[in-house]
Amino acid sequence: MLEVRIKKELSGFNLAVDLATDKEILSILGPSGSGKTMTLKCIAGLVRPDEGYIRLNDQVLYDSRKGINLPARQRRVGFVFQNYALFPHLTVQENIAYGISSSQRTGVKTQIAEMIDKMHINGLEDRYPGQLSSGQQQRVALARSLFQKPETLLLDEPFSALDTHRKEGLEYELLSLQRNFSGDMLFVTHDVGQGYKMGTRIAVFESGKIVQCDVKKTVLDEPANRTVARLMGVKNLIESEVIASDDSTISIRFQGLEKNLKLRRTKNYGLSEYRRVIAGIRPEHVEITAEPGENIVQGVVSRIVEGVNYASCFLQLNEVKGSIYIEVSLAKADAALIHEGQLLHLRLPPDRLIMMKSDSA
Amino acid sequence: MTESYLLPLWISLKTVAAATVITFFLGIAVARWMSRYHGRAKHLIDGLFILPMVLPPTVVGVGLLLLFGKNGPLGQLLLALGTTIVFSWPATVITAIVVSFPLMYMTARGAFEQVEPNIEDAARTLGASEWKVFWTVTMPMAWPGIAAGLVLAFARSLGEFGATLMLAGNIPGKTATIPVALYFAYQAGDMNQAWILVFITLAIAFSSLAILAYWRGRRPNRKHVRLLGARSQD
Repeated sequence: MLEVRIKKELSGFNLAVDLATDKEILSILGPSGSGKTMTLKCIAGLVRPDEGYIRLNDQVLYDSRKGINLPARQRRVGFVFQNYALFPHLTVQENIAYGISSSQRTGVKTQIAEMIDKMHINGLEDRYPGQLSSGQQQRVALARSLFQKPETLLLDEPFSALDTHRKEGLEYELLSLQRNFSGDMLFVTHDVGQGYKMGTRIAVFESGKIVQCDVKKTVLDEPANRTVARLMGVKNLIESEVIASDDSTISIRFQGLEKNLKLRRTKNYGLSEYRRVIAGIRPEHVEITAEPGENIVQGVVSRIVEGVNYASCFLQLNEVKGSIYIEVSLAKADAALIHEGQLLHLRLPPDRLIMMKSDSA
Repeated sequence: MTESYLLPLWISLKTVAAATVITFFLGIAVARWMSRYHGRAKHLIDGLFILPMVLPPTVVGVGLLLLFGKNGPLGQLLLALGTTIVFSWPATVITAIVVSFPLMYMTARGAFEQVEPNIEDAARTLGASEWKVFWTVTMPMAWPGIAAGLVLAFARSLGEFGATLMLAGNIPGKTATIPVALYFAYQAGDMNQAWILVFITLAIAFSSLAILAYWRGRRPNRKHVRLLGARSQD
């Protein structure tokens, strides 16, 4: 169990983090410079927060009130750096055994061999980091951290320098490692797909604060604000107004559109607090339809862009003061049937429309 | 006569050995401290440390005389302890340290600043004390730069003339180092003595460069250099 509640003043922003994990992988997402790495460094004891506390299992690592600040070497926190940070002047074996004091050396040889086996880096024992591929270096970095039997493992964009296929292989390996690892893992990444795959929960950082921290499905389905929504692939985000609401549905209007749209109410939005909201829908959830009905808007196709797996179609909504564009994902075969300038009816299913706090709210 | 060139050689060797050892450790300690110091006075302190390298040695000599002379603050302190530095053998060591320190300091600081902080941090998270981090990570990684500084500091102390002459003088068998003895031999027209001293200096310079080149090359840091090269490509 890891409990972090810290504040730190930095040059660009103020870090104020509050998170807790319990034997899981927590994926930490967010733009660069939003405080992800700084948070990990505070937990590891490499950077001292201004105030707050950090607790790992039964041990208080940092408590500004009680004046506790354990040095990094006593924290039992494993850290895997983005650029591996291997010791270039030591061999693979020496790197892995670095944290072992000379008095503990007996029996270490077999343990190193086991670790080398487990991480599939056999045959590289006597090589230097400069002689390894980046994937091999990352395995050595992981092995080196795990060899200290840390109580928690912090991974700072560990796969960002790898090729896509190497990345996937290591992702699955890390997931299986986690099953044998009793502690928590914090996994920092800027790759949403990776973060979603790796974590059971996701924390999204924005300028030093956690804007949402929840089970990954919730973050995906009910993003807390525009940043999270964008990150999660909700590409259509439209300023809207709440018109009416009851227990099961909420009626909203896109800004400038004289038409009520229904939205299935899945959670308590705390509507009393705000009327202005942002409505959102994923491009793959917008349906093209022929028959008129509920939740249907009209739009003119302005552009069709063909991608690898599907086509993206951009439509400008009709009957709107100003301009609102809606992106729709289509199967390539369907996209071939429409052309630019065509008027289409779009259905925005009530159970697919989501809404969140407006930026100004 | 046989001893006339052995004496300056012996004095120079003693002086250079003492000065290089002190400069080495002092330079490393100060460089380490400065590589982490980010206070307001950083540039000022930095400038002060490098000053002896920029100033003509005779000016450094005047400065040292002001410090260590009878009326200087350090001179009076030593006088109170019943000793004096001016025109004694330790004066040759002091001048050699002062002029060689900037070279050791500058190269060592550059070398320390090249060591990636993440790698030192990694050692800390693996349970290493600051002392262990320094000796097992920082020093080996900075070693090529440190060794270069050592060579430069050694060469500079061996060649020191102007400040030495002013603070230590030319007392044969006591403060007359090779460069000083060579100058006075030449002035006196003793060309035999002068040539012998020239060749001795050349021999010392070449053999020490060879030893240091070998010593540096033997360190496993070629891997390090290769790694840095590989990293700069991506």
